[in-house]
Amino acid sequence: MEGVMNSAIIISILATGIRLATPYLLAALGEMFTQRSGVYNLGVEGIMMMGAFAGFFATLHSGSPLMGIVASLLIGALMGLLMALVSVTFKAEQGISGIGLYMLGWGLSGLLYRLYVGGITSIDGLKTIKIPLLSDIPFLGPIIFDQNVLVYTALVLVPLSGFILFKTSWGLNVRAVGNKPEAADTLGVSVERIRYQCLILGGMLAGLAGAFLTIGQANMYADNITAGRGFIAIALVYFGRWSPWGILLGSLLFSMADSFQSMVQVLGINFPYELAVILPYVVTIIALAISFGRVWAPAALGKPFQRGTRG
Amino acid sequence: MKRVLALILAALTLLAFTGCGTNTNKSAETTPATKVEKVRIALVLPATVDDLAWGQSMVEGLKVVQKTMGADKVEIATSEKLGSAVDAGAAIRQYATQGYDIILAHGSQYQSVLMDIAKDFPKTTFAYGSGFATAPNIFAYDPQAQDGGYLLGILAAMTTKSGIVGIIGPVESGDAVKYNYGVQQGVAKGKADVKSRIAYTGSFNDIVGAGNLAKTQMSAGADILTGSSQQAVGAMRAVAETKGNYWLSTDMDQSSIAPDHVLAAQVYRWEKVVTKIIDLRKQGTLGGQHLILSLADGTIELKYNDKLADKIPAEAKAAVEQAKADIISGKLKVELPKK
Repeated sequence: MEGVMNSAIIISILATGIRLATPYLLAALGEMFTQRSGVYNLGVEGIMMMGAFAGFFATLHSGSPLMGIVASLLIGALMGLLMALVSVTFKAEQGISGIGLYMLGWGLSGLLYRLYVGGITSIDGLKTIKIPLLSDIPFLGPIIFDQNVLVYTALVLVPLSGFILFKTSWGLNVRAVGNKPEAADTLGVSVERIRYQCLILGGMLAGLAGAFLTIGQANMYADNITAGRGFIAIALVYFGRWSPWGILLGSLLFSMADSFQSMVQVLGINFPYELAVILPYVVTIIALAISFGRVWAPAALGKPFQRGTRG
Repeated sequence: MKRVLALILAALTLLAFTGCGTNTNKSAETTPATKVEKVRIALVLPATVDDLAWGQSMVEGLKVVQKTMGADKVEIATSEKLGSAVDAGAAIRQYATQGYDIILAHGSQYQSVLMDIAKDFPKTTFAYGSGFATAPNIFAYDPQAQDGGYLLGILAAMTTKSGIVGIIGPVESGDAVKYNYGVQQGVAKGKADVKSRIAYTGSFNDIVGAGNLAKTQMSAGADILTGSSQQAVGAMRAVAETKGNYWLSTDMDQSSIAPDHVLAAQVYRWEKVVTKIIDLRKQGTLGGQHLILSLADGTIELKYNDKLADKIPAEAKAAVEQAKADIISGKLKVELPKK
């Protein structure tokens, strides 16, 4: 072991941690809205795969990652719409519909890639943007303000989601629909419409999370590129107790642990790699286990709304 | 209505899956008049046919075999994305039932499932690798990945400017361990004060994770990187985004997508292995042999990227060529990790 944990290494660990947190943050914030309205969408992983493909494909053909972002938002919205149709309008069991959506996304993204691209192809993805002045702040500057636009987007979305959810009338409606849909319905709030909106929003953010992987990180596409990140995002919604700040905390905890274990391995610090790679999961589970207090969840989560029945 | 929709979703899903499933390349249907004797080969892959790594290297090898022997003499069918041994087993059994002569299960994870199936089809030849356990109708093929790794390790140690060589590992098992162990020995041999650093992602197909690990390696000082498995392209892409850092490929030459960053490659010539299996089968040997891929018989090759020839110091190349000659003559034996 070498005494190499100097400030450059620590900055690298933290900056990488923020980058790694981005897809979780985007997808989990979207899923938070969805679940707040009373629907859990287990298809996040599938939507992310479609978003990853759409983002890659649009960037490959237009040469502009911006088009990739737009494409991933669109495809995410469509996937969210499909989930809404199945789980809200047709009131199908949400867990099963979500798994179906996941499998559809997995199969379809692989198929489309094979049909329209095929083979490993790389693209020019998003570049990092140094924010003037802020990036010069010692220590914090290179960690937070030297990232790509989707990282900034994810970070800005945290307070923004909090504001929307807790300070706007739409946010109030979302929370009402997820807790007491009958009451909301009585007051003239359309439960179905709110749930549609939330599922579409959640889909868009999951699509964006997928695009971050292809155009913001790998700059290429491969089958099953999400590698389980969508499911981790769902777990982080529970970890974060359906609050944007809690989700930020969970995403950062998980990703910082991941970034830290990579560096520990790279520096050759004597530690079994099998234990290192599970470190993020262990840290997250421990944090979840010791953070006691009332476990709150949207009361109507998972229950299809049927006017005239009690939830 | 709910039921109809569920059905449509299920059908769509199935459609999406089958679309990326089997792909039979029936080249030149045999004319009924003159029935040509044809070898029917089925290939089962854990990842994809175009992963620019383990899977694709075998696919390219089979294409060469087909081209050399004649498209009317060789039929090839491929099933990909069969990472789980249970799914792969179903495909293997199906191919055997359909009367394929040679079934290549291209992954070490298929060993036990092959042992099980092969008993039921004594006339079919099965092969898998990397591995060494055989049966009367099972060949095991086994690239000496450590040999090429050793040569690339010497090359890396004598080319690096930072004095650090970074290895991106998938999971500590099979071919990857052999390769990494070879690279480490080569680095130590190439230059005493150059360090090799290994880090694993814990996955074979997380290209984003491999890319991030490569970025971490580079931020900690590595300027020459390498790694095996299908996720390695993610790491290579991360290297290709930088200036002054280089990549060493294994399994196949990956310089096609990073021509300015891949210095050299260990390449497997599967066509020679498959041709040998076909010949042995013709002579009545259906299996039972442990087929070793090595530098000596040309089933493993070291390929330099001509475009970057000036980046490799002359003495590095000389040392690599010397070591290669020593491995071929048997004077030098690269060690394998102790089990």
